[in-house]
Amino acid sequence: MTKIKRPIIWKLILGIGIPLLIIYGTILFLNFKWNTASAIEQMKDYLVELTGHNAATLNTDFSKIAQYPIGISKMLEVMSEPNEQKLYSLLSEIVKGNTSINSMSVAYEPYAYNRKKRFAPYVYREEGDILTTDLSKDQNYCSADWYSIPMLLKEPYWSEPYYSQAADNTLLVTFSVPMFKNNKFIGIASANICLENLRKTMKSIEIMGGYTFMISQYGTYIYHPNERDIMRETIFSKAVKYDIEAMRTYGREMIKGEFGIGQFNDPITGIKQWLVYSPVVSNSWSLAVIIPEKAILKIVYSRILRQMGVMVLGYLVIMLSVIWAAFNITTPIRNLMKKTERLATGDLDVQMVKIRGNDEIHALAEVFNKMVRDLRHYINDLTNATKARESVDSELRIARHIQESLIPRIFPPFPNRTEFSLFARNIPAKEVAGDFYDFFFLDENNLALIIADVSGKGVSASLFMAVTKTLIKAKSNYVDSPETIMSQVNYDLCQDNDAAMFCTTFMAVLNVKTGGFKYCNAGHNNPYLIRGDGEIIQFENTEGMALGVMDDCKYTSKKIKLKKNDLVYLYTDGVNEAMDIDGNEFSYEKMVEFMKEMKTTTPRQTIEITMNAVEVFTKDAEQSDDITIMALRYLI
Amino acid sequence: MTKKIFILIIIFVFCTIFAEENQELQSITFGLHWFPQAQFAGYIMAYEQGFYEAVGIDMNLEFFDGSSSLTNLREGKVDFCTAWLSQTIAVKSEGEKIVNLCQILQKSSLILVAKKNTGIEKPEDMNGKRISLWSGDFSIQPNAFFNKFNINYEEVPQSYNIQAFLADAWDVASAMYYNEYYKIILAGINEEELNTFFFSDYNLNIPEDGIYCTEDMIAENPELCQKFSEATLQGWEYAFAHRDSTLKIVMKYCDEHQMQTNLAAQSWMLHVIEESMKYNTGENSSSWGILTKSDYERVAEILQEQGLIKNIPPYLDFYGGKQK
Repeated sequence: MTKIKRPIIWKLILGIGIPLLIIYGTILFLNFKWNTASAIEQMKDYLVELTGHNAATLNTDFSKIAQYPIGISKMLEVMSEPNEQKLYSLLSEIVKGNTSINSMSVAYEPYAYNRKKRFAPYVYREEGDILTTDLSKDQNYCSADWYSIPMLLKEPYWSEPYYSQAADNTLLVTFSVPMFKNNKFIGIASANICLENLRKTMKSIEIMGGYTFMISQYGTYIYHPNERDIMRETIFSKAVKYDIEAMRTYGREMIKGEFGIGQFNDPITGIKQWLVYSPVVSNSWSLAVIIPEKAILKIVYSRILRQMGVMVLGYLVIMLSVIWAAFNITTPIRNLMKKTERLATGDLDVQMVKIRGNDEIHALAEVFNKMVRDLRHYINDLTNATKARESVDSELRIARHIQESLIPRIFPPFPNRTEFSLFARNIPAKEVAGDFYDFFFLDENNLALIIADVSGKGVSASLFMAVTKTLIKAKSNYVDSPETIMSQVNYDLCQDNDAAMFCTTFMAVLNVKTGGFKYCNAGHNNPYLIRGDGEIIQFENTEGMALGVMDDCKYTSKKIKLKKNDLVYLYTDGVNEAMDIDGNEFSYEKMVEFMKEMKTTTPRQTIEITMNAVEVFTKDAEQSDDITIMALRYLI
Repeated sequence: MTKKIFILIIIFVFCTIFAEENQELQSITFGLHWFPQAQFAGYIMAYEQGFYEAVGIDMNLEFFDGSSSLTNLREGKVDFCTAWLSQTIAVKSEGEKIVNLCQILQKSSLILVAKKNTGIEKPEDMNGKRISLWSGDFSIQPNAFFNKFNINYEEVPQSYNIQAFLADAWDVASAMYYNEYYKIILAGINEEELNTFFFSDYNLNIPEDGIYCTEDMIAENPELCQKFSEATLQGWEYAFAHRDSTLKIVMKYCDEHQMQTNLAAQSWMLHVIEESMKYNTGENSSSWGILTKSDYERVAEILQEQGLIKNIPPYLDFYGGKQK
């Protein structure tokens, strides 16, 4: 079985699989690239929105609470001397109504409330109760930041957040509003706001993989998932700690109240981080989100992974289909190949190929089946034909034997006769020849010589030849002149010659004692006479056509006299018309040339010279016509 | 035979070491005039690295609020303490029997700082400005400075934080270069946005932290005092050479005392303290800790000028440490 080096299945797998792989790869790559960029953009938008929204919410909360000290300051600025109790109860109501407010105070500048005393009503929440006290009794608040800074600035002030020991170490921020009466500073109205709610709000913002934080107007962490950093680190101290220059820049933008997006590399992991920040406008704080780009990409990765899964599945399905299709194509082809190989070894019993479907392969199989069928018929026919031919061949062989037996084959034919020597040869082109020669004594001294060429070849020619030969011999028993014999034989052959066959015949009668040579030529090539002295003479033509053409054809004869050592050279056109492979004829000229060598040769040698010359000339070319030569040397 | 000798030698060596170990350590209490921070890194590292123990001192480090440092020494609560030079000269001139063993910080870290946008570029620009001052010793140099440049200003009291400065409530603030100044930086204000006034640039340098003991102590235990000073300087040398591990330990101390600080701030502080220690003394630790007569006299004169002391105690009565 022939081994297939590059099967179709591989061609299909490579031809489809690799381009498909490249296409899928490209799609995935581009998808990844585009998706990454868009995911980052989306995430940025989302984070800007998220921080902005939460910052705005917190801002609203702070602004709302800020309204209480502002309102109180406005009120006290216009009241001459507010009632102490009413002030306490007002503050109490506010603290009670706002869980975010831990305490409130109205801290008058010493003796600004009234000339006799210091007054600083303070209302605070303690274990759920609302309590009141007068700050001026036991502390000098005038140098405290919450008091002095707004006083000096002459404008409301949000303090830095601080842990209040008085309020269970919770983180508070104080909003202080300075009060002026007649352009003279009279004190501070302030609210201490608990940042617990802020902590809860910040904690509730969930950022996948990232975290939120909030810094004060001076960069201090007010909220950070790492609680240790709260009030201990500033965004700037972190920038120093982790040596991130960019963080300081972003921090400065943040405390300026800017919105923004920044990026920096994590100092430890080296992973790119995104920072998105939005200001809480009322107190100049800033809310920010830090998210590693990896977390954003994770979304992309999972999307790509899903896509990849589908693609791999699709790829497998396609490749399996390709393999299936390939098998569908190649299996019948292989089957066909096997059968063809068996067929090639001559096994005509190859089973028909059965293929379903209606495609080219099916058609090929049908054609193959038809071919096998036809081949079988053909071989059958061929076998029968061969058998028939074999029987014909054997009959032909028999015919040849008969023909051979018709032509004298024994040389020298008349060993007792010393007057002449004779040799003849007939080489048929096909199994049965149309040429023949004959010689026989008509009486004691007269020797008849005949050479003839029947038109056509094969069995019919040989039969015609046999008839002609027999007729000539039969007529010779009664008549001894060649023209009479020719005339009579011609007449007989012409009767019922439906096949329109004819026979060129040269007949001569030699008187061996006298050398008289009488001949009649019925349409045959004129023989040659090679004299003992080397002279080459072609016999002159006599009247008469080839035998069997016209029944009333007239034949005449001519006479010459042979001298001692003269050679009569009789031949058929198979000699002069012998063809080489290019179609060139041997020609009379060549014949005559060789005849020069025949001055003293025996008849046998004469014929051998001719045969050799013809053989050399024709080389490998197939013999086209019967070759018949007869030579007689007259010896007395 | 050799084996026996070898064993005997080992036993002997072991006993020697054991005896050394067991040698009675002298128990000492050392009072530092503020809570733990990198300002005291050298003492902490000398303690942590066992340099005190190596010289036979069983050290007990205590951290106090600044004002109580000398009181504790006087009351015998501590054997050694750190204090500012201006403060100690003042009490010495009033008859307090204390001696300076080692002048750790050579350069004053007290500065005045203003934001550039206030337009204060030179001392004269402070005229009419609102300046925050700490009280006590922290006001000696500013007062001398204002006198020198004849500056009239609005004084506001300064607390421990600089938020009023950040909020632009003050024009000029007092600041320790190793502490408050850097807090300003860590609040997002860049160095180039600030103008600083170092008193040392105006011949008003008052070296700050020094180590003190009583006159009795140095008279009775001169060797101990010397060993203590040497071990302390060794601690500083170690601290500067091993910044990261030092800061780690300092941060641990800070946490234990609930100091709300961070690594960046402490790192800066250590850096400034190092500069101060090496101011005029150089890199070589052998020349650290010396109180020069010129420094002493300049400070005494500043104090006298401000009427904070009447007479100047003799230099050698005041300083008992090594000389150049």
